[in-house]
Amino acid sequence: MRRLSIRALAAPGILAAIIVLAAIAAPLLPLTDPVRQDVANRLTGPSFTHWLGQDEYGRDVLSRIVWGARVSLSVAFAAAAMAAAGGTLLGILGGYFRGVVELVTVRVAEVVLCFPPLLLALLVVTLMGPGAGTLVFSLAILFAPGFARVAYAETLSARSLDYVTAQEALGARTRRILARTLLPNIAPPLLVQFSLTVASAMVLESGLSFLGLGVVPPSPSWGLMIRGARASMEQAPLLLFWPCLALTGTVLVLNLLCDRLRDLLDPRGKAAGRPGFLRRLVALPAAPVGALPAAPGLLTVEGLTLEIPSRAGQVQVVRDVGFSLAPGETLAIVGESGSGKTLTGLAVMGLLPSAVKPVAGRILFTGRDGQVRDLLRMPETDMRALRGRDLAMIFQDPSSSLNPLLRIGAQVGESLRAHGVTQGVKARVVALLRQVGLPDPERAADAYPHEVSGGQRQRVMIAAAIANHPRLLLADEPTTALDVTVQAQILGLLAELRRAEGAMGMVFVTHNLAVVSDIADRVLVMYAGEVVEEAPVTDIFAAPRHPYTAALIASMPEGEAERLSAIPGAVPQPWAMPTGCRFAPRCVMAAEACRTAAPALVEIASGRHSRCLRWEEMA
Amino acid sequence: MLAFAARRLLVSLGLVWVVASLVFLVIHLIPGDPAELLLSQGGIAPDPAAVEELRERLGLNLPLWTQYVTYMTGLLRGDFGLSLQDEHPIGEEIALRLPRTLELVGAAGVISLIVGVPLGVAAALRAGGTLDRVLSACAGLALSIPVFVVGTLAVLVLAQELRLVSAGGYVPFARDPGRHLALLLMPACTIVVGLGAVVFRVMRSSVLEVLERDHVRAAQARGAAPGAIIRRHVVRNALTPVVTVVALHLGSLLGGTVLVEFVFNWPGLSGYLVRSVEARDYPEVMGIVLVISSLFVLLNFLVDLLYAVIDPRVRHG
Ligand code: SF4
Repeated sequence: MRRLSIRALAAPGILAAIIVLAAIAAPLLPLTDPVRQDVANRLTGPSFTHWLGQDEYGRDVLSRIVWGARVSLSVAFAAAAMAAAGGTLLGILGGYFRGVVELVTVRVAEVVLCFPPLLLALLVVTLMGPGAGTLVFSLAILFAPGFARVAYAETLSARSLDYVTAQEALGARTRRILARTLLPNIAPPLLVQFSLTVASAMVLESGLSFLGLGVVPPSPSWGLMIRGARASMEQAPLLLFWPCLALTGTVLVLNLLCDRLRDLLDPRGKAAGRPGFLRRLVALPAAPVGALPAAPGLLTVEGLTLEIPSRAGQVQVVRDVGFSLAPGETLAIVGESGSGKTLTGLAVMGLLPSAVKPVAGRILFTGRDGQVRDLLRMPETDMRALRGRDLAMIFQDPSSSLNPLLRIGAQVGESLRAHGVTQGVKARVVALLRQVGLPDPERAADAYPHEVSGGQRQRVMIAAAIANHPRLLLADEPTTALDVTVQAQILGLLAELRRAEGAMGMVFVTHNLAVVSDIADRVLVMYAGEVVEEAPVTDIFAAPRHPYTAALIASMPEGEAERLSAIPGAVPQPWAMPTGCRFAPRCVMAAEACRTAAPALVEIASGRHSRCLRWEEMA
Repeated sequence: MLAFAARRLLVSLGLVWVVASLVFLVIHLIPGDPAELLLSQGGIAPDPAAVEELRERLGLNLPLWTQYVTYMTGLLRGDFGLSLQDEHPIGEEIALRLPRTLELVGAAGVISLIVGVPLGVAAALRAGGTLDRVLSACAGLALSIPVFVVGTLAVLVLAQELRLVSAGGYVPFARDPGRHLALLLMPACTIVVGLGAVVFRVMRSSVLEVLERDHVRAAQARGAAPGAIIRRHVVRNALTPVVTVVALHLGSLLGGTVLVEFVFNWPGLSGYLVRSVEARDYPEVMGIVLVISSLFVLLNFLVDLLYAVIDPRVRHG
């Protein structure tokens, strides 16, 4: 990535270097004197001695363009350098000392930013009269606050770094700390700011010169040349063209340089891929022909494998996951973050992020019409007809899952409207909100999401999900963002809904085994992208047959304690999976055999599976 | 909502007062005597007696705070003082020219939004695609052409070579509405080249950011169609930063139309400002700078109100 950015920097970098070199070398180049007039030959076109022709006083245009670069660039560089020196100093002082110093440096500088820039420049010109000196001065004042702001922000963040605090504690002198630790940190953003400033300063300089308030004639400046050529536009239109081209080209090169520089220094700013939801890749091997079973229950996931691109090529984040669900049944998928449980849920909904690609498996779903479909291979439009009607989902964070700018009623109503309901939407929304236990549902429908509590927002999300009596409800950590008492209420609501909607199956994704016992019929435990154990809910608590499940149970909070005592170690990264059992590095029972061969998921009793070599020893 | 507006208005009025005082202080405290400056136009030292007489006439010999009080009370009555060049009331001239500048800036802002917002959305939805790359490159180019170059080249090509439009000028709306709008179009579109590119860029990155938000995925989970999601859940949320950026740019444009007005002979406030700067007519400069800065503050106030309209969280917060 970085090498790519450096190469992208080459083209504008070289062009900028050529322009700067030409400007510096102007006196050495074999050019005619840019101010020598030749009125007899005024407005002559290009010739052998005057490649770009002669201007309204018969001066050589090419020579004036090159010398003009010298004037424009030196004004711009001088102003940018002054602004950088002054602004950076103010910003560092303000950021380092805070308090009163901050007030008189940074805040005062920000006042300058309140004025329209050209206006401020004109104000200075009024006070000091036109000329290159005034120009540099006024441009420096204009641009210094930008540097002050960057330096201030960087100083603040560098200041809070541990090593600066440590050095201070060790008694290092303030000035030494500033010089040694802060400057290297703030140099890159200042460099970007500097190239940005040079470009803006050139634009402003040429603009003021164009108005006759900048560089004083007869010095050649691109702005002045455009001003002069305007008068003779009818006879010699080309005269206008050259300085315009020079100016625009230079600014373009500087801007490009600045963009690329920023990409190089801050790769986060680069645009990611295209948004996922407009394009659903059906890049899957064709489904096994004629293999759709007549009655797979409600949902059957087989061999689901998902991949993401990484530094080490494609890596599997979900591997060979399978489970099934009968109508009216609730399955809990349990695992730490990174286990692939959420991606599994999103795959069922067809809402995987664009980077995640399904590469194998089937997701068989029996719709309300009794037809069995493979959701992994369905076209997006057909999938959309199922979403929100046969399939519904509630998400982890109700606050971010509701659009803050739309009324609650409109968002719940969206579920209905998206599936063809046009009549009486309002009344049904209110009924739904009442059903999920919102106090004063009429008022709530007209409220904005921020006007109700977090628990109520999750109730709203549930109302939107059940609006069309879905066959399958996916709940992805629906209580994680809520506090304990509200969690219990939401779980109660979900249990109640299951009773009311008899045939609705539910997949409940969570990292918290404690909430599972109240709601689930069966439990699927996932670790590092794989299913490690599956069992009916009572068995899993009474007799876990995988060390990971046992560890999860052991880490469950006792009584009302909120903190989980975490399992030591962390889920391995998908590109650094252990060769044998994926849980081996953290497993208390790990033996030599565990590190060599990956254990398979074996059926250990009817309806019970475990992916552990030593499951029998746990009995 | 009303309390919110009142609170904001109060802050804005305070800011205007600060700006007025600042302008006054800058002119009066910066070394150099305005009277001397005014009279030393040709570069020759002015006659001390003439300077003294002018100082007397302008009240520059009074104590600073008396001048300040006089100036501020004048402002409260809408009195900006008299021009040094022709003793014409400055307030009148501003009142005549300001609407023309506002019209130009307003038209440019509206066209920029009409052009930039849909293109920004289109580019973001196909981010990385051909359309996006072409549009982004065009925006990069548009942002690099100084506004007076655009204007000058437009005059050269459209008016001079192709004779499609007239090179500039101004006709009051009341006299000939059609011609008035035709003459408005060229300078407005010249501003749009840069401003539209800014709107495009901000809208594009804003849409890309909103597309990643949870509520968009939630709307998808409800089965909403892509068109509805983009309209209801993406564009509207993405507009908030655009409002800020456009307002800030319009604010700096209030001073920045100078160049466009100059190129197209549009008799707005900025042309007046250039003339005043050239003549070093400091009461005029003070008046114009003050009016533009106050408009800038007013604009920020309106943006805050607009925010409250777009985002319900703001008006309750
Ligand atoms: S296979 Fe070995 S390492 Fe893996 S969970 Fe079982 S005992 Fe632990």
